[in-house]
Amino acid sequence: MGGMHGFGPVIRNPRDRALDEPTFHEPWEGRAFGLMIATAAKGLRRGSLRPSIEAIEPATYLASSYYERWARAIEAQLVAAGTLTSAEIEERAATVGGGPMRSPAGDPDLSAAIPAFLTRRGPTSGEPVTAAFLVGDRVTVRRMAAIDHHRCPRYLRGATGTVERINGGWPHPDADTPEAVYRVRFAMRDLWGDDAEAGALFVDVWERYLS
Amino acid sequence: MSDHRQDDRQEYGHQPAPPTAIERRVTAIESLLVEKGLITSDVVDAVVETYERDVGPLNGAKVVARAWVDGAYRERLLDDGTQAVGELGFGGAEGEHLVVLENTPTVHNVVVCTLCSCYPWPVLGLPPRWYKSFAYRSRMVREPRAVLAEFGTTLADEVEVRVWDSSADVRYMVLPLRPDVSDGLAEGELAALVTRDHMIGVVR
Repeated sequence: MGGMHGFGPVIRNPRDRALDEPTFHEPWEGRAFGLMIATAAKGLRRGSLRPSIEAIEPATYLASSYYERWARAIEAQLVAAGTLTSAEIEERAATVGGGPMRSPAGDPDLSAAIPAFLTRRGPTSGEPVTAAFLVGDRVTVRRMAAIDHHRCPRYLRGATGTVERINGGWPHPDADTPEAVYRVRFAMRDLWGDDAEAGALFVDVWERYLS
Repeated sequence: MSDHRQDDRQEYGHQPAPPTAIERRVTAIESLLVEKGLITSDVVDAVVETYERDVGPLNGAKVVARAWVDGAYRERLLDDGTQAVGELGFGGAEGEHLVVLENTPTVHNVVVCTLCSCYPWPVLGLPPRWYKSFAYRSRMVREPRAVLAEFGTTLADEVEVRVWDSSADVRYMVLPLRPDVSDGLAEGELAALVTRDHMIGVVR
């Protein structure tokens, strides 16, 4: 999305920025969010939702709300895992009324563990890794035309910035071993040209995207 | 193009609106999983309740207030945000590597995620709708002052705007400037001055 034109104002109406905005605007949004965690906890789908969200056809993506995109991605992963079929979801969606079916019994152990799991404290993430670049190095973001999931915002490609911090190492989404991720500082002018606003932009970039 | 369209749902007289296609779909998925015995409703409930009840921007406000009254805590917070918010009992999903960005009289920080909507859940809860909007995600990296103006935030020219696009594993939260009017306030009263918008950085 970064840098795209044409989406209009962020705030259209004062209530858009209300500080008492509900966590979920409608019950189904909360259920979709809950299903995201519950289906992963039960091993009914695998992996991050992001690749599946990005795989949504662009016109549908743009026409869908945030939790609608999540729901589509959860559905795609449940189908890919063989947990549900598209046909049975279609069939049930045509006939549902009211809220979702309630299970006759609960799973007290798992439901008690969920809040603790979601709010568990732990050591700061990021593995110590070998880093090819040092703080202060000038680095240029590689040009690429990635077709699958990636973590390099398009507007950075070809731009040159300065390494500010080595955050640590995390596995890139398509890898198992950690790779250095750098905080890179870009001057706004180097991203958007001579009529850019003053200031700087900071973004975390995996080593593979830098030269 | 707008992703505010959920706001546009019409009321049908005094009848509730019929379920939308996506609502039917989510309901169908949950019902099928329950029917097959693959999940139980209480587990989904527990997730929803955690973020509706326990995890929200009041957590971050407590962190900010502590940093305002305790210089040593502030140093630890800026050095290792994850550890320091953990001291106050906060942590977990989407906060595994938290970096806290300090506003100063000459620096203003603001956070966005252009690739999706990464957000520091343990301290701010789940993101507001505008943070997830295509308008915010596309424009904040290109014209931050124009977007800030929509929030009523106007910065002097000499203030450097720093935009943070959180597209990897680090999550960001802004430590706002302590207001001049806050002398003599207790920590709890200070926390009440801090909003979600301060900690995202759309207000100063």
